[in-house]
Amino acid sequence: MTDLPLREPTFLILTALAAGPQHGYGIMTDVAQISGGRVRLRAGTLYAALNRLDTDRLVEVDREEIVDARLRRYYRLTPQGARRLQQEVERMRSTTAVAAQRLRLLGGTS
Amino acid sequence: MDDHFRTSDADRARAAAMLRDHFAAGRLDAAELDERLAAALNAKTFGDLHRVLADLPGLGQAQQPGRLPPDRGGLERGYRRLLACYPAAYRSVHEEEMLAVLMTAAPHGQRRPRIGEAADLIWGAVRVRCQPSRNGAEPGWRDALAVVSVLLPLIVFITTAVHVAGALPVYLDGAPIFRNMFPLWLLNQFTGPLALLALSLLRLQRIATRATVALLIGLAYLAILSYWAGGPDPVGVSTIAGGSYIMLALGLQMAAVTASPGLRRGLQLVTWKHVALTVIAAVAVAITSYPWTLVVILVICAAMALTSSLGRWLLVLLAIPLGPYVFVPYVYVIAWGGRPPHMDLYVAGLIPTGPLGPLGQACALAAVFLGVFVVAACRESFRSRKLAPPSR
Repeated sequence: MTDLPLREPTFLILTALAAGPQHGYGIMTDVAQISGGRVRLRAGTLYAALNRLDTDRLVEVDREEIVDARLRRYYRLTPQGARRLQQEVERMRSTTAVAAQRLRLLGGTS
Repeated sequence: MDDHFRTSDADRARAAAMLRDHFAAGRLDAAELDERLAAALNAKTFGDLHRVLADLPGLGQAQQPGRLPPDRGGLERGYRRLLACYPAAYRSVHEEEMLAVLMTAAPHGQRRPRIGEAADLIWGAVRVRCQPSRNGAEPGWRDALAVVSVLLPLIVFITTAVHVAGALPVYLDGAPIFRNMFPLWLLNQFTGPLALLALSLLRLQRIATRATVALLIGLAYLAILSYWAGGPDPVGVSTIAGGSYIMLALGLQMAAVTASPGLRRGLQLVTWKHVALTVIAAVAVAITSYPWTLVVILVICAAMALTSSLGRWLLVLLAIPLGPYVFVPYVYVIAWGGRPPHMDLYVAGLIPTGPLGPLGQACALAAVFLGVFVVAACRESFRSRKLAPPSR
């Protein structure tokens, strides 16, 4: 059975983690960069999404460090997480390919 | 000088906090902060600490007149208060980490959490509470909702029965035409609890169907009430306030049956203690002419309910239909200093103040909180891998 499509913040978090293990603040800045400043994740949304991803075993904890006397926890993508992201990319790619092709045809007739 | 005395963990932590404040004030840049923090956290004597802080003014000095230092401590306290909304188990793992992210993301001048940040954290807390935990155990609220779907029809039945018992002598003395319609009147009074029972017993799979049925039942109930409003109904169940109470109960019952494992699981979990306490509370609430007896009974119920986690969830969830009955009369007592003249009529919701009445207003407020909870619960229930049918 196919999964429900990923919501945009979740998709962006998985994309950010696809580059390598990152900590919470790193994910937030990376998501802002990937979306071109459009999506600005806040801590509450980020951690609720990470909790759900962790329960679904799409991400897991990589390591913990103490920086500036504060705890910093790094997260990484699991193999299932990478597969899920790949699935989502394929779904979006096929839809956007159809849309792009039709727009080209539309542009061609004018 | 005390330079040769050894430092404690608390002394080093205090020096680190001072360094962070100097960085926030702009006296140090990031590289210097890291270097001095490392030195401070490794300092063995007060001499080491003084060397780290030597060229930095005490925080009370060298301030521009009229400018306060940025209160990072206040910001951190504000964030910790907001993080307290998260479940204790989640907080024990994630609180420090989230605090680190929040403090890093906050710009330097910020002294307390912004409204947007506060709302985001609270909504995140609601979502985390609704999500299942990693080891697959059902969150406590789902089992509690299953029990609510069993107990709620019981509560509504009892409160209605008490009202009917009070209204019966007056009703039978009424005009002959209404005496002839007695069986219909009786059925009308019990429409509420019957509707709730029907909602839980009907095997409706799709949430949309269930929601529509609930809404239709509610509207039918209100229609029947307004038809009877012309009759001799001095106990006054047929008012907008009474109707909003039933709508609220219907909403809660629908949430209970949809988002929980179902009526069967509720029947498995419910114990005689829960049933007995609920019956006592419902009867006490319906006979509010003895306010102090009511308080005593409810305190006993609350104390016994708090012994188990299921009991705690039940107390919260069942306060939604019972709370308006309990708390609004006491608002009157506090505001008017003593029993208001219409206290006895209050039981059935017949209040002459305003179209909705305080019971209706309290129900509306409870409905808002219930709505937030239902929305979050449904979102989390349906954002799982497969769209599982609601009853397992």
